[in-house]
Amino acid sequence: MRAPAWLKDTYWPFVAAIAGLLAISLLFVYSASHFDPGRYEVKQVFWIALACIVFLASSALGYRTFLGAAPFFYLIVAAALLFVLAAGRTTLGAQRWIQLGPLALQPSEFAKLALVLFLADFLGDRPIIEQEGKTLFQALLIVLIPLGLILKQPDLGTGMVVLAMMITILFMWGLRARFFIGALVTAAAAAPFLWTLLKSYQKKRILVFLDPGSDPLGAGYTAIQSKIAVGSGGFLGKGYLAGTQTQLQFVPEHHTDFIFCVFGEEWGFAGSLILLGLYTLLFSSAFRIIAATTDMKARLLGSGILAMLFMQVFVNIGMSVGLMPITGITLPLVSYGGSSMLSTAVALGLILSIYRERSIF
Amino acid sequence: MRFIIFRWMIYGGLALLGLSLFRTQVLQGAEYRRLGEQNRIRLIPLEAARGKVLDARGHALATNRISYNLIATPEDVTPEVFTRLSKILKIPEKEIRRRMSAPREYPFAPAMIQPDISRAIVFIVEELKPELPGVSVQVSGLRFYPYHTAASHLIGYIGKINPREYENLDRERFGMNSLLGRAGIEKIYDNALRGWRGGRQIEVDAKGNFVRVLSERRPEPGEDLVLTLDLELQEKIDAMIQGRHASVAVLDLQTEGIIALASSPAYDPNVFVSPGKSQERVALLQDKEAPMLDRGTGSAYPPGSVFKLVTALAALETGKITPNTRFKCTGGVRLGKRRFHCWLKEGHGSLNLYEAIERSCNTYFYQLGQRLSPDDIAHYARELGLGDVMKLEVTDMTPGLVPDRAWKRQRYREPWYAGETLSFAIGQSYLLTSPIQILRLSAIIANEGQRVEPRLVLNALKDEPKADGRPRVAIREENLKIIKKAMLNVVESDMGTGQFARVDFDKMAAKTGTAQAPPNQAHSWMTGFFPYDNPKIAFVAFVEHGGPGGITAAKLVTDTVKIWHELDARPRVA
Repeated sequence: MRAPAWLKDTYWPFVAAIAGLLAISLLFVYSASHFDPGRYEVKQVFWIALACIVFLASSALGYRTFLGAAPFFYLIVAAALLFVLAAGRTTLGAQRWIQLGPLALQPSEFAKLALVLFLADFLGDRPIIEQEGKTLFQALLIVLIPLGLILKQPDLGTGMVVLAMMITILFMWGLRARFFIGALVTAAAAAPFLWTLLKSYQKKRILVFLDPGSDPLGAGYTAIQSKIAVGSGGFLGKGYLAGTQTQLQFVPEHHTDFIFCVFGEEWGFAGSLILLGLYTLLFSSAFRIIAATTDMKARLLGSGILAMLFMQVFVNIGMSVGLMPITGITLPLVSYGGSSMLSTAVALGLILSIYRERSIF
Repeated sequence: MRFIIFRWMIYGGLALLGLSLFRTQVLQGAEYRRLGEQNRIRLIPLEAARGKVLDARGHALATNRISYNLIATPEDVTPEVFTRLSKILKIPEKEIRRRMSAPREYPFAPAMIQPDISRAIVFIVEELKPELPGVSVQVSGLRFYPYHTAASHLIGYIGKINPREYENLDRERFGMNSLLGRAGIEKIYDNALRGWRGGRQIEVDAKGNFVRVLSERRPEPGEDLVLTLDLELQEKIDAMIQGRHASVAVLDLQTEGIIALASSPAYDPNVFVSPGKSQERVALLQDKEAPMLDRGTGSAYPPGSVFKLVTALAALETGKITPNTRFKCTGGVRLGKRRFHCWLKEGHGSLNLYEAIERSCNTYFYQLGQRLSPDDIAHYARELGLGDVMKLEVTDMTPGLVPDRAWKRQRYREPWYAGETLSFAIGQSYLLTSPIQILRLSAIIANEGQRVEPRLVLNALKDEPKADGRPRVAIREENLKIIKKAMLNVVESDMGTGQFARVDFDKMAAKTGTAQAPPNQAHSWMTGFFPYDNPKIAFVAFVEHGGPGGITAAKLVTDTVKIWHELDARPRVA
């Protein structure tokens, strides 16, 4: 008996990791908000269902279709980012959302995706041996326009993710080491100038990250409270729904950006290992998929997506243990939030489609 | 090769996260659990002292006084505390519970139980402290306006933030109980007066007692503001107009600073900042006398004959008359079927422009109205600053109203009638001006055409360009000199309508106005500058339904100028 095609075309460890993370998401969005009248866990069920459909659809459509439409996505997203700056909803000093009826969309979430697609498509068409400098210049231009708009919102977290993604794609494209060294030197030289461009609250967050005592009321408070929440979980955690720090709302935004605080407190270090294990499984299976493809564009696309997801995990978990500054960023597949869930689903669907088309020579 | 590097960087990152989590959760877990379990960290916000508002001679018009507030951390409070506090403060237990459960900025933030308690209660609370867990006395600054009603419309007041504002404002500067400027200078300069909040993170023991300070950020106090006002002059003028609906303002022509701007009735802004005065607040807002209204800047009235200065300038500028053009007044003019009266029934006889202004003859200006279009008059009125708001730092300023043909068509869907131009020419019809606008009109005339931008804040004066570099109005200097001369006659001639305003130490130039406001008595106006040669101040006096300008307003003007003259002899401040 032959296995059906869809079964053969699915890379199961990859899907298992996704399923595990989504299960954790449901459990902990509920735990984080069951005192809240917002009923976020019900909404999250809806978002997860929608994300599954989007995941299957994008893997079925295939990454080539998406790459073909990349310039189009890029333009739409750039327009949406402009719109957000002009007319978007402002929450806590940042202008990030577009209100569409009951839905609030966050264009910067989709901007990451459009950028990784466009960049992979653009660099995939241009071999490294020809006109490396000129191509690099054009690629930088492609990234800097939306990146500037994202930083203007201001959304430092997404900016960091986009930057990591860009560096990875350029690295995988084969850009010579001297360019990276040059960029490093330039960045060091430009740092004082860039510092003046940051909003005062962004500067403060970075300063507080370096010296948590400098702002006991604001970001320093969030930093120490999220550390207390995660740390007080100890080795085994306080048990599901038994967290006190996060339930008492010491930590803000605990169903979205700070969901790891709830998780770390209730399931402890053991739970953290499970979560990191699931992410490791997700990333390693993605690596295997990327390693198997011979298509340059697929490889660039896959690496970009991987870098993006990894950076989000690293910053999100890192900020709750004092490894990274406090910034608004979601934990992929776990945090509550429609825009983040959908854009992650598309990204993962694209990786799965790379696996599906691995045999095309 | 690069692929392998990429791969191991990611695995390395994950391992780093794992190690950090191991450190936070396993190695330091017990310490964090200890801090967390009893919620031992408390955040104590430290509010910044609000900047003072001073007059030009250093009197504090708005300052802060020490107040003691009774606060409590609800999480640390035991049930008996409610009964005990109820007895000490003499407020019902239910009310204390309500205050205890009011929304707070973050958990374990202290709740305000009773602001501004007496020293006696402070001592009782300190003595009973062991029996009142979670309760403490906080020392803070409370806004205080030492001169009560003096210049209250200008200084304004502050009020508590509302939830909507709290959502939209910067959390670093505004807390849930922050106060912000609601009117006047307090509102306009809120940003400068407000400092930066600070805070203290402290560790407490299981009973909520202070153990140690974990970290602290000191609040930064706000800036002090110095106004151009002269409190002594202001207070004396206040006393002069008390009991009337009136406004008197004095402008220093050299600095363009307002040195007094009084409006009566006034209110005591302390009512808005002292706790427990909500009834007085409501009474103030509902008062039919409208004490909250600044009659000097926030309300516009027909200017009456004061406006003849503008009509005269319009006629001179458009070449319709020279100062020597004569018209004969027989007590009025007829236009169609309607007769327009002069205030002097038997008529003024033949007059030139100087005499017409001096005696405020209506007929002469009806003649000008017949020769001018309403749009001409409106043009010169606007050129002289009427019909628009000015930069002056006050809240709720009225632009007044300068009508013209287009305005009437739009507002009433009717053409402008010729008769309306006659009324317009003597400052009636639809025209409305605020006393501060009339003051500026006099100041521009005194300056022979140099534009004037009245100011209240002394700090802001420094940035202004030098007086001679200021732009001029598009009116010839010679014509303004004619008007000045005519204004001198108004006061100094024995036929002048403003002779009651005369002072014996120098010559004054002014113009009176008696604006019809049926069915009540006419509004009383007088405006001008002093002294005639090298003017130092411009002034305006206005009394709502005060009767003839040459009597009621003239009395206020003469008193004001006398007081100013006395105070001018004081030594200067640095």
